[in-house]
Formats: sequence, C-alpha cells, structure tokens
Amino acid sequence: METLGLLADGFAVALQPVNLLWAIVGVTLGTAVGVLPGLGPALTIALLLPITFHVPATAAFILFAGIYYGAMYGGSTTSILLNTPGESATIITALEGHKMARKGRAAAALATAAIGSFIAGTIGTLGITFLAPPLVELALQFGPADYFSLMVLAFVAVSAVLGSSVLRGLTALAFGILLGLIGIDLQTGQPRFTFGLPELLDGINVIVVAVGLFAVGETLYLASRPLGHATLTPLKGRAWMTREDWRRSWKPWLRGSVLGFPFGALPAGGAEVPTFISYFVEKKLSRHPEEFGHGAIEGVAGPEAANNASAAGVLVPMLALGLPTSATAAIMLSAFQSYGINPGPLLLQTQPELVWGLIASLYVGNVMLLVLNLPLAGLWAKILAIPSPWLYGGILMFATIGTYGISQSPIDLILLYLIGGVGYLMRRFDFPAAPTVIGMILGPFAEQEFRRALTISGGEFSVFATRPLSAMLLGLAVLLLVVPLLLRHRR
Amino acid sequence: MQRLRRPEALLALGVIGLGCVALYETTRIPVSPMYARVGPTAMAYAASLLLTGLGVALLVEAWRGRWTSPPEETATPLNLRAIGWLLLGLVLNIGLIGPLGFMPASTLLFACTARAFGSRRPLRDAAIGAIFAAIAYFGFAQLLGINIGAGLLAGWV
Amino acid sequence: MMHRRAFLRSTAYGAAAIGLLPGLSGPAAAQTVDTLKLFVPANPGGGWDQTARSIELALKQANLIKGAQVTNVGGAGGAVGLPQFVNQWKGQGNALMVAGMVMVGALIANKSPVKLSQVTPIARLTGEFQVVVVPAASPHKTLADLVAAFKADPAKVSWAGGSAGGSDHILAGMIAKAAGGDPKKVSYVAYSGGGPALAALLGNQVTCGISGFGEFGEQIKAGKLRALAISADKRQAGIDIPTIREQGIDVELFNWRGVFAPPGVKDADRAAMIDLMTRMNASPAWAEQLKARDWTGIFLAGDAYGKYIEQENARIEAILKDIGLA
Repeated sequence: METLGLLADGFAVALQPVNLLWAIVGVTLGTAVGVLPGLGPALTIALLLPITFHVPATAAFILFAGIYYGAMYGGSTTSILLNTPGESATIITALEGHKMARKGRAAAALATAAIGSFIAGTIGTLGITFLAPPLVELALQFGPADYFSLMVLAFVAVSAVLGSSVLRGLTALAFGILLGLIGIDLQTGQPRFTFGLPELLDGINVIVVAVGLFAVGETLYLASRPLGHATLTPLKGRAWMTREDWRRSWKPWLRGSVLGFPFGALPAGGAEVPTFISYFVEKKLSRHPEEFGHGAIEGVAGPEAANNASAAGVLVPMLALGLPTSATAAIMLSAFQSYGINPGPLLLQTQPELVWGLIASLYVGNVMLLVLNLPLAGLWAKILAIPSPWLYGGILMFATIGTYGISQSPIDLILLYLIGGVGYLMRRFDFPAAPTVIGMILGPFAEQEFRRALTISGGEFSVFATRPLSAMLLGLAVLLLVVPLLLRHRR
Repeated sequence: MQRLRRPEALLALGVIGLGCVALYETTRIPVSPMYARVGPTAMAYAASLLLTGLGVALLVEAWRGRWTSPPEETATPLNLRAIGWLLLGLVLNIGLIGPLGFMPASTLLFACTARAFGSRRPLRDAAIGAIFAAIAYFGFAQLLGINIGAGLLAGWV
Repeated sequence: MMHRRAFLRSTAYGAAAIGLLPGLSGPAAAQTVDTLKLFVPANPGGGWDQTARSIELALKQANLIKGAQVTNVGGAGGAVGLPQFVNQWKGQGNALMVAGMVMVGALIANKSPVKLSQVTPIARLTGEFQVVVVPAASPHKTLADLVAAFKADPAKVSWAGGSAGGSDHILAGMIAKAAGGDPKKVSYVAYSGGGPALAALLGNQVTCGISGFGEFGEQIKAGKLRALAISADKRQAGIDIPTIREQGIDVELFNWRGVFAPPGVKDADRAAMIDLMTRMNASPAWAEQLKARDWTGIFLAGDAYGKYIEQENARIEAILKDIGLA
C-alpha cells in the first residue's frame, strides 16, 4: 500500500501547526466568499495569487484548497436561508432548502447540507487518493458526442423541476435556453442576442440570473402582497435534525457523492449538472415525492452531496494530469507556475510532498468545515428572525455586492433587477424558476458539444449512435422517459 | 375581448412577444462562411420558435379559462405603494452607485426596501443599512482588494 | 517530509499570515505620485492579469514605484474593457493598460467601435509562441503529414483550440493558407480555455490542437502529445521542436503582450512611462519574471511599437477575412 504511506507523509505536512493555521484561514475565507453571490473561489484565489511570492508552496496550496472547499459550504448557506444561491452549483439546494427554512426547519436543512457536504467531500477525497489515475483515463474517453448525450440525459432530469404545469415549466426552460445563448458564439465568433451592448458579448452570468429570479423576484413578490405576508416562520420544534431527518438523509448523501465525484472528474462535467441529476434521482426514489417543492430534505441532502463530491472530482484531472478543467483549477495551476513547478502529468512524481500534503489538507479542511458549520447552523438560522424590512433590505444589498462588485458595470445591476422583474412575474403566475436556470446552463453546453461533435465527424449525424458511450447514454435517457409513462399506463 | 384582458392572457401575449423578438434577433445573427455543419443560428431558431409556440399554447389555455390564478392571488389588491418604494430603491441604487459609491447607494436601497416592507422609521433603517453596507464593504471588498466603488468616500476610507 | 529550514521559514510566515492577508492586494485608496494604476481588460488569473501582476512585482522589486493598483474589467477578449479605458481613464498620466494580440483580433471580429489606435502605445513586453500538437497515437509525424491530410480532405482533420477568431484559430488559418489550402475549410473545434482542449487531445477526440507553448509544454515533455511545430521565428533554446517555417510553410506568429497609456496623455507622461518600462525591462527582477513564466522578452517601445501594432492590425484583419470572421 504505497498510497497509504504517501498519504501519511501528506498528513505529516498538513498537520503542522502552521499549515493547520493556513487551512483555518482558507476554509473561513472560502465560506465567506461562498456566501457572496458572484464572488467564487476562482476569483478569490486569483486575487490572492500574489501570496505565492510570500509563503512556501505547501502553505499556499493548503490555503487555496481550504478556500475551494469552503466556498462549496458557504454557497449552500445563503441558498437555504435567503433563497440567494452563492454559487451556481447550489442553485438546486435553494429549491427545497429555502422551502424548509420558510417552514422553520432552516437548522435541519443547514445541518443536512453540512453533513452531506462533509461525507461527500470525504468520499471525494478518498476517490482522489485511490482512484485518480484510472478515473482520469476513463474521463478522457468522453468526446463531444458523448457529452451531448449526457446533456440529453440531464435534460430528462429537468422534468423533476417542471412544477405543477408542464406547459409553464417548459416555457421557463425555453426562456432559460435563450438567455444562455446570449453572447459570442464560441464556435464561430458571432454575437447572438447582444443588442449591440459590449457588456453582453460574454453572455449573462448564471448567478446574476439565479439571484435575480430567486432573491430579487421573491422580494418584489412579497412586497406586492399585503403587509405581514412576508413574515417567515422562525425556528419551529426541534432545531436539530430529527431521527426521521437522518433516516431520510443518509442514502441521498451517499448517492449524491457517488454521482457527483465522477462528474467532477470529467473534463467538461461541471458541478451543476450532477446536482440536477441527483435532485431527479431523489425525487424518483423518495417515498414522499409529493413533498418535493415544499421542503423535502432529500432534495437538499442529495444535491449538496453531489456538488461537493464533484468539487473533489475536479481536482482529479488537475493532480493526475495537470489538466485544469474548471476556472478554479486553472488558477491553481497558474499558482504552481509561480513556484517554478510545472503542473503536468509528471506532477505526482516530481512533487509528491506537495501533492500529498494538498490531498491530506483536503481531509483536514473538510473536518474543519464540519466543525465550523454544524454549530453555526443554529446560529445562521437565527438570521431568519430578523424583522422582514431589514431582512429583505439586506438581501437586496447582498445581491448588489456580488453583481456590481465584480464587474462595476451598472448594466449588470440593471440586468439583475430586470431579471428580478421577470422573477416576480414568474412567481405571480406560478412559473417555476429552476428550469430557467437549468436551461441556461444545459442549453449552451448541449449546443456547443453537439456542434463540436458534428465538426469532428465531418457532419455525420450517426456519430451519436455509433459511439458506444453516447449510444448508452442516449438509451438511458430514453428509458428514463419511457418507463415511467409505461408504468403509469399499466396502472 | 374581455378574455384577452385577463392577466394570464396578457402574460401569454408577452411570452409570444418575447419569442418574436428572439426570432427577429436570430435572423440578424451574422452567419460566417466558416466551415460548420450546424451554424450559430440553429439552436437560436429552435429556442425562439419553441418559446413562441409555448406562448401560443399558454394563450389558448388562458382564453379557454383553463389557466387561472388561484383566488389568493386575485383576492387582495397589489400593494402598489410598497412596490413603488422598492422600485424607487432599485432605481436610486442603479443611478447613484457610480457617482456616490457602493456604501451610500446601498444604504438608500436598504432604507427604501425597509419602507416597502412596512417600516416607519427611515432614519433608524438608514443607520442599520449603513452599518451593514460598511461591514460588507470592508469585510469582503477591502480584504480581497476588490474595488467595489468607494465613490464619495474614496478620499478617506 | 518537509525540510527543517522550510518548516522554520513557514513558521515565520504563518505568524504573519493573518496580518498579511488584508494588505496583500488591497491597495490603499490614498495615492502617492509613485502609484502606478494598471488596467487589465480581462478577469483575474489569465495571461494579461499575470502580466500586470508581474509588472507590479518587478517594478516594486526594482524600486521603480511605491505601489500599484490593478483594476480588472473582463470580457470578450478586451472588447468590454477597452471602451472604459478610453473614456474613463482619459489623460491619466500614471495609468497603463495591459493588452496584446488577442485584443487586436477580438476588436476586429467583434466590429468594435473603439479601436486600439485610440490608446497610446508605450511598450511591447513579452511574446509567447504557439505550438501545433497531435495526440501521441496520431499517425501524423510531421507538419507536412498533417497539412497533406488537410489538403486531401479538410473535413477529416479537426483542429482544437481556443475561441473562434482567437490566436489559435488565426494560426490554423495562416497555416492552411500558406500551405495552399482554403482557410475557410478548416474544421475548427473551439473550446473555452486550454484545459478542455487539452482533454480532447489527450482523449484522442480531435486530429490536432494549437495553443500557447506554456499550456502544452508539460504534456509534450511527458510524451502524451507530439509537437509538430512551433510558430516562433527561429529554433528556441532548450526546445527540440522545429519551427513552422523550417518545414516549408511561411508562417510566424507571436502572441505578444504589451502596455498602453490612455488617450490624451501629456508628452512628458508618455516619455516617463516609456522610460519606466525601459528601466523595468533592463532589471533583473523582470528577467526573473520572464523565466518563471516561460515568456520570451520581445521589448519594443514608443513609436516603433506603434508602427508594429499598425502592421499587426492589417495582418490579423487580413487573416480573419480569410477565415471568414471579419
């Protein structure tokens, strides 16, 4: 067991008091930036890159790893409490999590998110430790055609969030796909739906849309109702997770972890897609599918685990091949460079101390985050006791910081508020907001991979059926669509 | 014509309108002579046609009276005064965040929102908003060195 | 295990850690005359941002400035940031914008109303040549093999690289044209960023790929990719890869980066900035930065730089027309 020996060496590095201190700074800072919509781990690490001139490599990477994992925890906190996703991967968490919070079960939702994140983070880190090389080989087998079929599968998962009316759900989805098309087309360089505004050339940030639809839209809606309507139910009953909550959470935690980790390892997987699929799976498997949309704890536990496990998965191609598959990984790799370390397939061989120290610090950071977040769950939940005038004032201010803070463009603020107006209409007329956000993520993803696949195949549409991976995924998607219909028919 | 004046029907017309705007914009996407089996317009046409079609379906549903809002939505009149305060806060924020900076503009937004949600003590609200804005500004922006617009206060913070 | 000295050093740094964090990149709002303002029309982390931070570090180490303040306005290859620099930073004598070849292409392809000729050229600083690679298992051994396959059936040869119209695409078009093929027929597969493009190459999904040498260098060294050619003007020391020109195709391309002052600066300010950059270029601190980042120093200042940009503009516009993007 050579790996275990190397890991033990890694722990010897990570458990040094100084490095523990860096990990604490990292997870705290990470939680803080995760909370802020728009300010993610990639940007934070980029802004902290100059630190690499002052501290040794190991310390810097332990700090960065802490920020990375911390941001995943922080993003779910605001999703649950304020319906304001701090990270795009925690959008699904807001669906059930915020419903739970409104019913006075915020602490339980935060706890299941924190424990699920811990379990998923640990499983993911175990995966990095033992599965990295074979997994990355498998992940590289995915070509554009396979990705497209995977996205088709993900589109099936959207059916779980369509809400009470399929017609309105699909309208929300189509609107999201259109929003996702805004900007320069990657394959041909042509601007689409930009209305001549240079600010739109890079597209609209999905976080601006999510925060606009969820947070700003909700605030507008509540303001339009008679006074007193906006009061939330403060903590009700037992603050902590009940025995029933545990019973309903543990399986989703494990399923989410197993689903999320390989997705993260895919070079173009992303952390959002597995959360959609996890939500779909949990809704299908739950004994209480009717509770979905009204605060089902499985809908928090599963996607939260999926998002954290996929965050760990992203590190697999980075550490095993020097392959940056997310913005955060790319920036961490550029930090390697400023130490004169060349991140590449040989990284594990040339820098074992650094890599294993980093992996060990992921375990350590995960424990720290659990310790930090569990006691805070009850405390955080008290935020909902703030009188509604100040709570909603705070939410709007919060939404502003993230949006305006990064780009300093009033156009982004105008967009945020306009989308908030759309969110208001959607809320008033009972359109689900989640398909819009999901369409915005999946639409362009599917489109780009579809066109890449056709460019590579020289225009042969058969490529989607002849590649085994792609054919398998398409088959699975068809099964998922057809089997429930058949079962319903037979009853 | 009465049926078209239902809010649901108006919204459906809005969706159709949006779909048509998207269709028009799609026709204006330049198609380069670059090699591409499926160009930049295919998905755009599909999505805008889909949206337009769904808008028509929504209109039919509303017309036939199969899509109506629950009574809890229609029974109470809109709280127009609250919406007015909220919109004022948002517009002020957009207009003032550049010239005045993040903190003053956000304080105003906070106070207006609090007013919209029924608070009657604007000065106290503004004070709390200012404290909150200051914490946000120094805690996050200064720590990470992000310039989120000091504005008026640029000289002395 | 960590060496004892490294451990002691990290203890000292760790003690200062908490105090250090706020000051790291948060410049004081109050300005001294010696504060340089750097405008980066891209998000933190990318090549221009790294250039700005390296400039800041080298200038500070060489005691040429007291401090620097970096502003990032990212988007569309600089097409979002440039108008802001032109309009809002007009006449500021202590400001510099980092930009490069990518912006020249982005402005043409996006038909931007604001041109690079509106800002004041100060100095070209660095260049990065590009490399054409194929997966290790590919049948193509030389650039000639690849080009022959392209000319035989362009649809069968897919080229992976960054966004359409970017430097990778430009090089693909230049090679196709110089070899006598049709640049419009290049089956170009655009990826956002080097990582996903690299994954497609390592997974043998595409025929060949183009990117900055820095992004593929380690994979080439590890034998996972085979480099066919580099776009430099001559063989590079320590890199055993032939140039494109050596293989009979008359193409050379540097992804250069440089700095610009805002429009309307005083002549004295312009001269002072050129002087500052000239002195930085001569400093050992800058040489160290170039080495750490694998950049080639191709310093060119003032009017000569201005003329160079005019030529680049014409050259890139022509090739973008050939590809069908301008």
